[in-house]
Amino acid sequence: MSSDFEAYEQDFGTLTAEITNKIGRIPKLGGKEKTQLVLNVDKQLEEVRELMEQMDLEVREIPIQSRGMYQSRLKSYKGEMEKLEKDFKRSRIAYSDDVRNELLGEDAGSSESQRAHLLDNTEKLERSSRRLEAGYQIAVETEQVGQEILANLHSDREKIQRSRDRNHPEPSPGLRPRRHHPPHHHSGHLFQCARALISPNALTHTHSVSHTHTHKTRTRMINSDKSVCSGVIRTNGAHESLFLGPDRGLSL
Amino acid sequence: MDNSGKEKEAIQLMADADKKVKTSGSFLGGMFGGPHKVEEACEMYCRAANMFKMAKNWNAAGNAFCQAARIHMQLQNKHDSATSFIDAGNAFKKSDPNEAIKCLNAAVDIYTDMGRFTIAAKHHITIAEIYESELVDIEKAIAHYEQAADYYKGEESNSSANKCLLKVGAYAAQLEQYAKAIEIYEQVGSSTMDNPLLKYSAKEYFFKASLCHFIVDELNAKLAVEKYEEMFPAFSDSRECKLLKKLLDAHEEQNCEAFTEAIKEFDSISRLDQWQTTMLLRIKKTIQGDEGDLK
Repeated sequence: MSSDFEAYEQDFGTLTAEITNKIGRIPKLGGKEKTQLVLNVDKQLEEVRELMEQMDLEVREIPIQSRGMYQSRLKSYKGEMEKLEKDFKRSRIAYSDDVRNELLGEDAGSSESQRAHLLDNTEKLERSSRRLEAGYQIAVETEQVGQEILANLHSDREKIQRSRDRNHPEPSPGLRPRRHHPPHHHSGHLFQCARALISPNALTHTHSVSHTHTHKTRTRMINSDKSVCSGVIRTNGAHESLFLGPDRGLSL
Repeated sequence: MDNSGKEKEAIQLMADADKKVKTSGSFLGGMFGGPHKVEEACEMYCRAANMFKMAKNWNAAGNAFCQAARIHMQLQNKHDSATSFIDAGNAFKKSDPNEAIKCLNAAVDIYTDMGRFTIAAKHHITIAEIYESELVDIEKAIAHYEQAADYYKGEESNSSANKCLLKVGAYAAQLEQYAKAIEIYEQVGSSTMDNPLLKYSAKEYFFKASLCHFIVDELNAKLAVEKYEEMFPAFSDSRECKLLKKLLDAHEEQNCEAFTEAIKEFDSISRLDQWQTTMLLRIKKTIQGDEGDLK
């Protein structure tokens, strides 16, 4: 019995080898040859299936003890056969490389084009990195320029404050803030400019700074003198205070 | 504009003015409206000086202004005298730096006498610049910058004071007076780091201070960097701080290549300026110097 089984196994082996071979050839051929080969493979697959059935019967007749080994072999053969069938199906619909090459007009050129493609990508990446670097450099330079501008603004601010304090000292607390007499007006305009400087958006107000006149201007005073004072002092944090408090009299 | 003609006219004016002064000095002149004559002479000197300026004869212009200034002093016009000295200084700047400095010094004395420290400080800076560029006398330049900074501090112009101090610091470091430089940079750094306008420059000052520390001693530099990071958290994010750490590591391992590598990387993004390059080169030499010792 087992010798029968082994005979079946050998047949199985040869058949599957042939089938694999033919399956490999099928995609490359076309037309009549292909159909012939396909029929051939079909027939061989039938034979393989019959073999499998017979092997199955054989195994069943073997006593249960020694059946295990044969059963596992049988399983593996079944798996192989299924794989062959799948390959066969795929090969019938698969395009071969040759056909594709003929269509696209290249031969060994396909691998070349892949390489060129990759090189192209690498170059694009490098270009992008270079542009990013340049952008970063410009950002750093801009920051440095910004630093200088801020330092200049700060020193200009101090000069303006000093000249304002010197020319238009703060009126004594006795004066009522609503009276519009000239010094108030001058200071008002200057206050506006100085206030603009103190605010964090100093950069946007430079144009107003350059126009510090001392002639009479009609500026809208923000409420009263005092609120401007306190408002300025609040926003003025660490800087030198613009005004002396109402307790101290005129300075300078 | 016939400049040569102007020059002749100017020389004529000078001669006239000289005569006027002499005559006013004599007894007779003193009797008959001497002061007017002197004032006239003064004005003539000024006009002559301006004409010399047009003719680009800076020396003569300077001299004329000086004369005018002296007469103003005689007349007790301190302001005018000082202004004339300044004009003289500007004229001499283009031809004879030494004379210019003399005139400017005279003007500065007058201003400090009058108590106008701000403008005196401004002219100290001018003098220091002349020393810096034309006469290349760094020590005197430092002295004048320091004086200017003190005056500005006195007048509560901290920004201008800081500007002068920075120059002092840079030159001090160049002359290897590292302790002074470190102190200045730390002071300026800590005063600017709170100011919203100036805080973006603070990291640069700390970087410079650390470099000076580095030249003196590596351990100092490490402690300093930690101190600055504590004081000013934004410093640790800056590229300068990262560079410093890399340099410290490279120096510890005496690895010259890593050192150069780190510097090159930093330089590729933002160029190192002259001062920084000099300092870094000195630090690098200390590494190589150590290697030499081992051999």
